Amino acid sequence: MAETVVAVDGVTKRFAGHTAVKNLSLRVDRGGIFGLLGPNGAGKSTTIRMIMNIFLPDEGKVTVLGSTAGSRQLASRIGYLPEERGLYPKMRVIDQIVFLAEAKGIARSVARKKADDWLARLELTDWTTKKVQDLSKGMQQKIQFIGALLHEPELVILDEPFSGLDPVNSKTMREVVVEIARQGRTVLFSTHIMEHAEKMCDHIVIIAHGEKRVDGTLGQIKRDFGGQHVALAFTRNAERASRVLQDRTLVSKVSDFGATAEVELAAGESGDRLLETLVREGVGLSRFQIVEASLQSIFEAKVGAEGARATAVREES
Amino acid sequence: MSKVFAVIRREFIERVRTKAFIIGTLLGPVFFIGMAVLPALLLSRETAGRKVVVIDAGSGEFGAKIQQALAAAKKGSGADAEAKFLPTLLVAGARAEEVRDSLVRFTGLSKRSDESIDGILLVSEGGITKGEVTYLGVNVGSPRDMEDLRRLLTPVMMTERLQRAGVDPVVALKAAVPLALETRKVSEGKLTAESGGATFALAYAMGFILYISLLLYGTQVMSSVIEEKSNRIMEILVSSLTPFQLLLGKVVGVGMVSLLQIGVWTMAAKLLRDFQPQIMKAIGAGGAAGGGVPFMLPSMPTDLLIIFLTFFTLGFLLYSAAYAAIGSMCNTIQETQQAQMPVMLFIIMGLMSMFALLNEPNGNLARILSLVPPLAPFVVPVRHSIAPIPIGELLLSVATTIAGLLLIVWVAARIYRVGILMYGKKASFRDIVRWIRTA
Repeated sequence: MAETVVAVDGVTKRFAGHTAVKNLSLRVDRGGIFGLLGPNGAGKSTTIRMIMNIFLPDEGKVTVLGSTAGSRQLASRIGYLPEERGLYPKMRVIDQIVFLAEAKGIARSVARKKADDWLARLELTDWTTKKVQDLSKGMQQKIQFIGALLHEPELVILDEPFSGLDPVNSKTMREVVVEIARQGRTVLFSTHIMEHAEKMCDHIVIIAHGEKRVDGTLGQIKRDFGGQHVALAFTRNAERASRVLQDRTLVSKVSDFGATAEVELAAGESGDRLLETLVREGVGLSRFQIVEASLQSIFEAKVGAEGARATAVREES
Repeated sequence: MSKVFAVIRREFIERVRTKAFIIGTLLGPVFFIGMAVLPALLLSRETAGRKVVVIDAGSGEFGAKIQQALAAAKKGSGADAEAKFLPTLLVAGARAEEVRDSLVRFTGLSKRSDESIDGILLVSEGGITKGEVTYLGVNVGSPRDMEDLRRLLTPVMMTERLQRAGVDPVVALKAAVPLALETRKVSEGKLTAESGGATFALAYAMGFILYISLLLYGTQVMSSVIEEKSNRIMEILVSSLTPFQLLLGKVVGVGMVSLLQIGVWTMAAKLLRDFQPQIMKAIGAGGAAGGGVPFMLPSMPTDLLIIFLTFFTLGFLLYSAAYAAIGSMCNTIQETQQAQMPVMLFIIMGLMSMFALLNEPNGNLARILSLVPPLAPFVVPVRHSIAPIPIGELLLSVATTIAGLLLIVWVAARIYRVGILMYGKKASFRDIVRWIRTA
C-alpha cells in the first residue's frame, strides 16, 4: 500500500455563521497528482489552509508527511501556492524569489542560481531585475509558482493554480506539474476546471458545501458512476437536437454545451434510437460516440447542476 | 535563525532602497545646515541700520548720551562692521509730544522714501526718575531689536540715575555684575568635568530621539504588516515562517533602518559642528560669526551611552511589537488611527514622565516609573544623567523592561498569528482577547 503524505480525518471548520468544511476525510498517497474539485465556496481553500496549518480545524485531525505539528516545521518539504496570490509589489523579481526560497531555508547562493534557471525556463529572464509591480498578472503568477517550487518540495499544494492564465501559460504550468509528479513527488491541487482535472489527476475528491461527494481514482469514479454515455457534436440544427434531448424516454441526463453535448442514455437504450431520431429531425452530426461519463457530467450529477453552472460562469468571466 | 535573517535583510534593504528613505536621510543634514547657517546668513545680509529719532523732552543732555550709546552698537565684531542704529537727536523740550506726533507719519515708510524712519525713542526727566523710555516703531514686534534697545539703554539709564543719586557709576556698576553660578557634577563620589546642564540636555535629547524614532519607524512596522495583508503575501509567509520569526525579523529590520538614519544624521551633525567655520566661510557668512553656534553636541559619557543604547533598543522593540500587533488587527491605515491610541498614550506618558522626575530624580515616583516597562526607556536615561542610578536598580529596571518586552511580544505574536489572516474585518476587543487565549 502506498505511503500516505496527507491525511485529513473527520475535519470540521466553522466560521461565524456557517460551516465551511463538514466532517471531511481524505487521503493523499505519495506520488501522482491529486485533484480537489468543487464549485466556488465548496470549502476547497479552507481544506487546503487546514492542511497548510494556516487555519486550525475545529474538529478532526490533519497529518502531513507523518506529522501533526503543522506545515511550518515542514516548510522546506512543502511547496504552497495559495489562492490569495500576493507578492511584494516594489521588490525586484529576483530578490522576491530568493527571499521566498530563504524563508524555506534554502541558502542564498543556491536560491539565486535556481531562480535564474527557473526564470529562464518560464521565459522571464528579461524581467529578472524588474519590479514585481511592472509585471502582468500572468507573469506574477509564474513568479509565485517558482516561489512554491524552487526548493524542490516533495509535496506541492496548489490552490487554483491555473486560474487567470492564458492558454499558453496554463499549458506551460500544467507541463511543470506533470513533470513534478513524474519525478515521484506528490501534487495536490484544487480546481473547478474539470477538463484540467480529467487530463491530469490520478485521484480525485469532489466536495460541495463542505462535504465530500466523490472520492477515488479517475477510472474508479467513472466505473462507479456507470451508465451509457454518448458524446455528441452538432454541425447544424443544434436547436432541434436540444428538443430531442429533452425526451426522457431516450436520455436520462443531458449536459448541453450548445455545439456539443454529453448525454446519459435512458435505461434499456442502446443509442440506436437516439441516433435515428436525431437524423430524422435533420440534426447534422460530426460526432456520435459511446463514451465513459466525463468528469464534467459526474461533477454536475454529484454537485448539482446549479453549483456546476455557477462555477462555469465564474470561470468564463 | 537564517530565516529571521532573511526577513531582517528584506525589511532593511527594501526600506533603505526607497526614495523616501534616501531623501529623508539626505534632508536631515540639509536641515541641520539650514539651522546652523541660516540665522548667521540672515544676520549678515540684513539691510542698513535702523533709523531712530531720539526726542528729548528735557535739556538734551540725556538724549545725547542715548544717541551716543546707540551709534556705538555694531553688527558683528570686525572693525568695518556696520552700525546697528543710525540715531538722530531732537531736543524738543516742552514740544516733545507735538514733535513726536509729526514724526509718526514718517515712521515705517522705509521702502518708499529717504525721509522714512524706523522708530522714535522718547526720553524725558520723568522717565529717568521712573526708569522709563518710550519707543514707537514698526519693529516693536522684533524681539531682537527690542532686546538690543534694552541692552544698550540699560547702562545709560543706570549711569544717569546713579550720578543723580551722587554715586560713582564706575564703582557701582563694578559691584553690580550678575552672579555666575559655576556648576560641576559630582558622580558617584567623584568630581567630573561635566556641567550638569549639558548631560541633562543630552538625556533629554535622547528621549526625543526615541520618541521620534517610534513615531517614524514604529509606525512603519505597523504599515508594513498592513501592506503584507493587503497585498496578500501573508499567506505564503505564514506557511514558511512562524509569526514570531516574522515579527522579530520585521521589528529588527526596521529598527536597523532607524539606527542607520539616526547614525547618518548624527555623523552629519558632528561633521557640521567640526567644520562649521569653513562652511560659513564658503557660503560667505564668515563675518557673522558673532551669530553664535546654533547647536552644540556635548560629549557623551560612556555609561550614559550604554544605558541609552540599551533602553533605546528595548523601547524600540517593545513599541514596534505593539505596533505590529495593531497592524495585524487592522486592514487599512485609516483603521489604525484609532487602534494605535493606547500605544500613543504610553509614548506620551513616557515623554511626560521625563519632566515629572526633574526635581526628584531618585524619588519614589522616579523609582516606580523606572520599573514600568513602556516608560522605563524614557525615564532611565534621563534619571541617570541627572543623578547616577545604582547598578542594582539599573539591572532591575532592565530586567522588568525585558520581562515586559517578552510579554508584549508574546501577546503581539498571538494577535499577529490570527490577525494577519483576517481580511476585510476589523477586530473587536472580544476577538482580540479570544485570539490571545486561543492562538
